[in-house]
Amino acid sequence: MTAMHALPAHDQLALLRSILCAVNIGAIVLDGERRIVLWNEWMIRHSGLTQDKAVGADFFAVCPGLRGGRVDAAIQQALYNNFPSLLSQTLNKAPFALYASALAAARHERIQQAVEVTPIAVDGAPRHCLIQITDVSIAVAREKLLREQTMVLRSQTFSDGLTGIANRRHFDVAMEKEHRRAKRGGTPLSLLMIDIDHFKAYNDHYGHQKGDQCLIQVAAALAGMLKRPCDLMARYGGEEFAMILPETDVEQATLMAETIRARAHGLAIPHERSATDTRQVTVSIGIATQKVDAPVEIDALIGAADRALYQAKRAGRNRTAAQLP
Amino acid sequence: MPQAKTVLIVDDSRVSRMMARQYITGLHADWVVTEAATGEESLLKAREVAPDLVLMDVNMPGMGGIAAAEQLRQEFPAIPISLLTANVQTATRERAAAMGIGFVEKPITEARIAQLLATLETA
Amino acid sequence: MSMFDLSELENDALVEIFNIGVGQAAASMSAIVHEAVRMSVPSISFIPRAEAARLLGGRDPAGPERICGVSQHYQGAFETEAILMFPEDKSLEIVRLMVGESVPLKELTEMEQEAMCEIGNIILNSCVGTLANIFQHELQGSLPQYHVGTSDEILTATGSGADTVVLMLHIDFLLEKHQIHGYVAFVLDISALHDLKGQINLYIARAMGQA
Repeated sequence: MTAMHALPAHDQLALLRSILCAVNIGAIVLDGERRIVLWNEWMIRHSGLTQDKAVGADFFAVCPGLRGGRVDAAIQQALYNNFPSLLSQTLNKAPFALYASALAAARHERIQQAVEVTPIAVDGAPRHCLIQITDVSIAVAREKLLREQTMVLRSQTFSDGLTGIANRRHFDVAMEKEHRRAKRGGTPLSLLMIDIDHFKAYNDHYGHQKGDQCLIQVAAALAGMLKRPCDLMARYGGEEFAMILPETDVEQATLMAETIRARAHGLAIPHERSATDTRQVTVSIGIATQKVDAPVEIDALIGAADRALYQAKRAGRNRTAAQLP
Repeated sequence: MPQAKTVLIVDDSRVSRMMARQYITGLHADWVVTEAATGEESLLKAREVAPDLVLMDVNMPGMGGIAAAEQLRQEFPAIPISLLTANVQTATRERAAAMGIGFVEKPITEARIAQLLATLETA
Repeated sequence: MSMFDLSELENDALVEIFNIGVGQAAASMSAIVHEAVRMSVPSISFIPRAEAARLLGGRDPAGPERICGVSQHYQGAFETEAILMFPEDKSLEIVRLMVGESVPLKELTEMEQEAMCEIGNIILNSCVGTLANIFQHELQGSLPQYHVGTSDEILTATGSGADTVVLMLHIDFLLEKHQIHGYVAFVLDISALHDLKGQINLYIARAMGQA
């Protein structure tokens, strides 16, 4: 067996050419004038361009869309400065027209590509450059899947474990976002603080398991009343819920609050120990609205809703009350 | 017209100013080259010497080259102004074109200066 | 050993050369994101390696800040390891701005690390390329390598010995009204430093018409 370097030069070259043509990577070699001197099997297979069409041609005549772009700049770096360049898939979406199959080509679905451009020194000739193209479609698909799974997981950590509705963390994030949006859009923002009346007494009398069931039922009913994707119902505390209503003014918020109060009452969950004369689970609701012409800090809005809730409780529960922030 | 011209070079880099001066006087030994190191200084100098051409570096602290060029353009609507920048991107091109200002790409070379002066002569 | 000092003119020349380099890099990056990108080098300094690590380490008493770095090795007329570094939270911001997505650094996937590598590749090649062109010398460069860790870890990983000096460039990066401050560090040994100084003076002499 002969080591490669012991082969005559001509045979070495033939062997290297065969290897380069056989590797599972796209390989293009350009001379100092940017003419194609090598266009390997992989390139032929995935570009649909045969050897006779490619070899000897000007690179930009074969790939006109790449002139003046990142690949062009990388070729210049290699030929003039002797520096290699990396073109990531993330920043350069499929620069070459390469397809996995005829069907993909018909659908114009290019292979996802990672590209490297490297200078190549040649004895007795100006510098050449090698363009390597790797198919990273599988890696890209894998990462897309991972990202989707992460989003699902993340949405789960935004949920309250018991009731399944949004948790306090989600509320805080949403509040920041809607507050900013209301300021930028010049729209009113309303906040409802909803508290189950005499919940401690309910727990004490019926037990914590029933208490949990009550929470789940009330949360589901109230969350089911949200009409728009931007509205959010979150579990704010033990038996306290908060509802963010963007683009909602005082009148609309008051109406919504009253509808919620009625709905909660309408669930007809028996509550023997309720101090209100309904003997059913009821809620008290505090309403606060940030008006368009009077923006306030998030704390101030929450504070006002809290004070309004307290007011509703003081006035006898199973009712709504509003406060200005 | 082969009369001696005055060129104002504005760049916070002294070496850059020296280089531009060298290339200009290399092509036209009788021309007068004035220097300014900041955008603010360039306005004062321009009022002082009434240059026939202004070369303005974009990347300067304080009032940047583009702001200074805009103001110069307002005060002296007829003077050719050329921005000097290594960062030639679409936004720069559009802004320059809108202001009626040209640009010379950095690094400044004798060839680029010669090219600029040639286009001015034909204008 | 006296710290390596540059005269005002030498400093001016080097800062201008690097500003040209990052300016060209900004133009390349602008073409990628189709937004205006501005980059400049407001100042440079020569500092011992230990001080460089401290500079990048942040002021957190709980421990040195983690940073993201991209390094490339250059050799030929002179030899250096060039490292682009951003504080951890800033590098995620850059990737996010360039890539257009929100990604915490811990979740920086392989694909996004690759994007960071490309950004480093563009900026470092541009800086060193301008230097090489202006000094009319040729170099070879390597492909980029991604690092995450403390500045000390990164400087060690890129092979800088205790007696090396770091040429530190402060970089201001501006994209979509986001202003990000980063660094490019060139690790140089004594002979490389002397080569550099010699080349700067030749360049200045040419600028003054004396060469």
